[in-house]
Amino acid sequence: MVGFATVTLIAVVSLWLYALRRRPRQWSQEQARRVHNRWIIGGGLVLPVTSITLLLAFGIPIGHRMLPLPLADSEVVRIDVTARQWWWDVSYPDSGIRLRDELHIPAGTPVDLHLTSDDVIHSFWVPRLGGKLDMLPGRTNVLRLQADEPGLYHGQCAEFCGIGHAHMKFTVRAHAPSEYAAWLEGATGDE
Amino acid sequence: MGLTRTHPLHLILGLSVWAVWFVVLYGGLSVACKLAPPDPAAGALSWINMLLLPLTLVVVALLAWAARWCWQGHADSDSLKRFMARSAACLYLLSALATLAVAMPILFLPPCI
Amino acid sequence: MSEQQDNAQLHAQFDRVWGNLPGIGALAAVNHTSVGLRFIVTGLFFFLVGGLLAMLLRTQLALPEQSIIGADLYSQLFTMHGTLMMFLFAIPILEGVAMYLVPKMIGARDLAFPRLGAMGYFCYLFGGLIILSSLLLNIAPDSGWFMYTPLSSSTFSPGPGSDFWLLGITFVEISSMTGAIELIVSILRTRANGMSLRQMPLFCWYILAMALMIVFGFPPLILASILLELERAAGMVFFEVAGGGDPLLWQHLFWLFGHPEVYIIFLPAAGIVSTLIPVFARRPIVGYRWIVLAVIVMGFISFGLWVHHMFTVGIPQLAQAFFSMASMLVAIPTTIQVFAWLATLWTGRVVWNLPMLWILGFLIIFVAGGLTGVMLALVPFNWQVHDTHFVVAHLHYVLVGGMLFPLIAGLYYWLPHVSGRMPSNVLGAWAFWLVFIGFNVTFLLMHLTGLLGMPRRVYTYEAGLGWDWLNLLSTIGGFIMAIGIAMFLLDIGMHFRFGRRAPRNPWAADTLEWAVAMPVTTYNFISLPTIRSRHPLWDNPQLPDEIERGEHSLATIHHGLRETWGSDAVSGRLRERVHLPSNSWIPLQAGLALTVVCLGLLLKSYWLALAAVLVSTVIMLRWSWHNGGHPRAAPLRADDPCDPPLHSRTLDGPGRWGMLLTLMANGSLYASLLFGWFYLWTAAPQWQAPEQGPLDVPLLLASGLGLSLAVALYHWLNRQLQRGSTSQLAGGLWLVALLGVVHVLLLVWVLLLAELSPTGSAYDAVLTVMLCYLLFHGALAALLSAMQAVRVQRGYVSVRLPYEPQVLQPFWSYTLGVFWLGFAAFILLPMAW
Repeated sequence: MVGFATVTLIAVVSLWLYALRRRPRQWSQEQARRVHNRWIIGGGLVLPVTSITLLLAFGIPIGHRMLPLPLADSEVVRIDVTARQWWWDVSYPDSGIRLRDELHIPAGTPVDLHLTSDDVIHSFWVPRLGGKLDMLPGRTNVLRLQADEPGLYHGQCAEFCGIGHAHMKFTVRAHAPSEYAAWLEGATGDE
Repeated sequence: MGLTRTHPLHLILGLSVWAVWFVVLYGGLSVACKLAPPDPAAGALSWINMLLLPLTLVVVALLAWAARWCWQGHADSDSLKRFMARSAACLYLLSALATLAVAMPILFLPPCI
Repeated sequence: MSEQQDNAQLHAQFDRVWGNLPGIGALAAVNHTSVGLRFIVTGLFFFLVGGLLAMLLRTQLALPEQSIIGADLYSQLFTMHGTLMMFLFAIPILEGVAMYLVPKMIGARDLAFPRLGAMGYFCYLFGGLIILSSLLLNIAPDSGWFMYTPLSSSTFSPGPGSDFWLLGITFVEISSMTGAIELIVSILRTRANGMSLRQMPLFCWYILAMALMIVFGFPPLILASILLELERAAGMVFFEVAGGGDPLLWQHLFWLFGHPEVYIIFLPAAGIVSTLIPVFARRPIVGYRWIVLAVIVMGFISFGLWVHHMFTVGIPQLAQAFFSMASMLVAIPTTIQVFAWLATLWTGRVVWNLPMLWILGFLIIFVAGGLTGVMLALVPFNWQVHDTHFVVAHLHYVLVGGMLFPLIAGLYYWLPHVSGRMPSNVLGAWAFWLVFIGFNVTFLLMHLTGLLGMPRRVYTYEAGLGWDWLNLLSTIGGFIMAIGIAMFLLDIGMHFRFGRRAPRNPWAADTLEWAVAMPVTTYNFISLPTIRSRHPLWDNPQLPDEIERGEHSLATIHHGLRETWGSDAVSGRLRERVHLPSNSWIPLQAGLALTVVCLGLLLKSYWLALAAVLVSTVIMLRWSWHNGGHPRAAPLRADDPCDPPLHSRTLDGPGRWGMLLTLMANGSLYASLLFGWFYLWTAAPQWQAPEQGPLDVPLLLASGLGLSLAVALYHWLNRQLQRGSTSQLAGGLWLVALLGVVHVLLLVWVLLLAELSPTGSAYDAVLTVMLCYLLFHGALAALLSAMQAVRVQRGYVSVRLPYEPQVLQPFWSYTLGVFWLGFAAFILLPMAW
């Protein structure tokens, strides 16, 4: 997408530069009219319509995969996250675990995060795992994430939420499925 | 004073219809999802999509008809009137196309999630 | 010889009638040239302040983990940077350019409502200074320039910062609205004789579209600001979840304004490009009609994009997809313009010049910004980069590229007009390259910073995340750009001192604004030409001299009145002589009184505010008193011209158009309120409505009956007046006013009986606002009718002066309409549910 945009930019700018620099010549009325129609219809209509169609052809399927459609085959892990100025209150409704500023998830399985806020608007974002979703007081938004590889991911608040905004961070630890079970066990045991 | 083919109002009428349709589309969708959300598994074949689609087609047909009607008005008049009638016809046509384009996702996406 | 003397005498006479008062009297100037220039200079001042803040922000971000500026001050700075640039620089300066140019381009002597423009300027100046003062006091707004609530609410921003923003910006918006309304009416109704819509300069099409967008786009924000201020100051519930409000309502209303605003800024700038390119390509613009269509389509479609700023708030995908499609569609009219410009250059003989350099810079930066814009319209990509530095980079590409570069090109282009001198190519080119390179270093890299995950609005960041060198380079680029801007200003300053004298029409342009004397006179044209083509100066290069010699129409002064032609909106055929007010202190007085209102609200001394409201009302009524047949305006005389007649002797002058446009803006505000009502009703998480509506329906119906009778009677009286019968006019108008008072009193009774608790529930709060809105309109209509009755008795309104009742009539109809619409939305619909 970035490549296509760059090419378009360079093409348009070069055309302009060429138009500015080329030697003027005499145009008959008819010739001029043909040139005009070619530019306006070709450049002004066909070009953007084709680009947009291409963009959508790629974009729509991606967007479709990100829908939190009910999954038939596997159980989705549910985690509730409540944002407060300026920390993250994480809880696992199935096991009663509560954490602060850190999440643990199984790798390779989709996780549904139920996001809400207790005060102002925040936004939940783990750049390497997927898009962001706002956390609004009074509403719960569901974000589906999946970490393909085990590892440590960094997340942060993406919506300006006051003076602590820059430091409102959290971590996501993705465990291999067996390790996740062990962690779950251990964390529940601690309570 | 009737609404002749060269009336300046035509310059904004087509896109105003588009705007109203857009509001109805967005508002109607929100209210419908609130009242009776269909099963997301049904995908794009829900009753909401089936309602929004014909509505869109009616609006498109109306706009296309208006475009044709305005275009017919330009033959025998002076240059200003021709300018107005042609511009109006183009704007109706563009509104119809904009309506079609914006409505396209109705064919692909389930309504309420 | 004597002919020349006559001509000099004529010019001296025009100078006396049209000139500003000397010395301090300049503050009473209402002339569009003076007011337009004031807007431009003030706008540049705010631009410099905003730029200075940007430099502070970039200094803080230059290195990781710096603490030159703390989180608190940083929040104030970025909020103020956005606010100053958007509200106090971009829109006012473009409106200023338009106010300066439009009358000259359409062959008029002034704008249609000179005093309104002057008052707008004072509102802008004082409002801007109030907002700026908050920064000096270290209590500036700090919730970001889009003021998302609840962060900006009294709970989370207890200081006065948000109040400064809400009140100050609303105050400044008065000037945008007044400017927009007078520009529209001027473009539609005061064009030179014969200049049909088809022959109008493209710049005027752009300004027409921009101004109409302001009329419909600003009211949602004005309403939202009023509601949020009511929530903050009086505790009424609109956005707080607990009482049935919803913070998302703010976002909807804000972006309903905010997205059109981007196009409001872009359109006039594109208008400058469309004006300059044909001049320097030495040929008419290619695809005039395509561009007109593109401008109209843009004006509409840009109202259907607002949700693309809210893709991450959790709206259903299908709804997002509609907005995504509309966002992509809007790229098409933009591309059409880019290629029309290209085709013009392609088939023209290009003259290379300093303004063209800036236009080229505009093209490169703006096209890049447009392309990232299309990417952002794609929902999944948006989820990733929303609220990161990628968006910061994108918006600067669109706004700086799409507005600042064309603006500077335009300033250089029209500079000879103001100074009578030519710009130098050397310093200007240096300034260009510094700004262009500096800008790209800053913001091209910032795309990458955003893709690497740096969120916006963080005052610092950890080292080692890969953002360090990018931020350092961005800061360096920022300073290069600042040096370039400084050089631009230096160039302008030197220009007034050292520039070489410009001949008339130095660029060999085609449009009428170059037919004036250089530097320009206050009355623009001593005689008003008839226009038959799009390129009057190319078709007849002698036109400026002919105008100067007074060979065209209206080259006389009639009883010391300032006059210009009024013409038909479509064909441009001559319809009336519009007489315009002369220098007046009223705009300054009104501006000062409104400033006191604003300060009173800020300091929470509500008695002061109320007193100032009363004073401003009196000032404004006095303003409207000096109109029409009043001795200070254009009293009836035996030698009144009749072909064409003075506009105050007709049934449809510019004032009526001004009223209709004001009502459209008002209607947009009302529609926003209805939207808020339906939105909260259907979407607020904790909405509660009482089973039984709190309003006394029979009483409300009685009130509506009073109003309906008043309007019916008014219409009847008006018809009688048009037929030439005024025997019952004065008494009838008194009766109308009385019926209006009855309507208002009954409405007050309804409000008191209902015992609403607007601080407890959003339902009651919205209902209260609606009732107050209706009360205001009923009371104002009654008051103005009473005033008309007095004017009939004084002889300012009569069979020969039937104009003013025509102006007031739409206001009564509107009042009736909103009453019954409100009745349907708040009483009938919930009953039927």
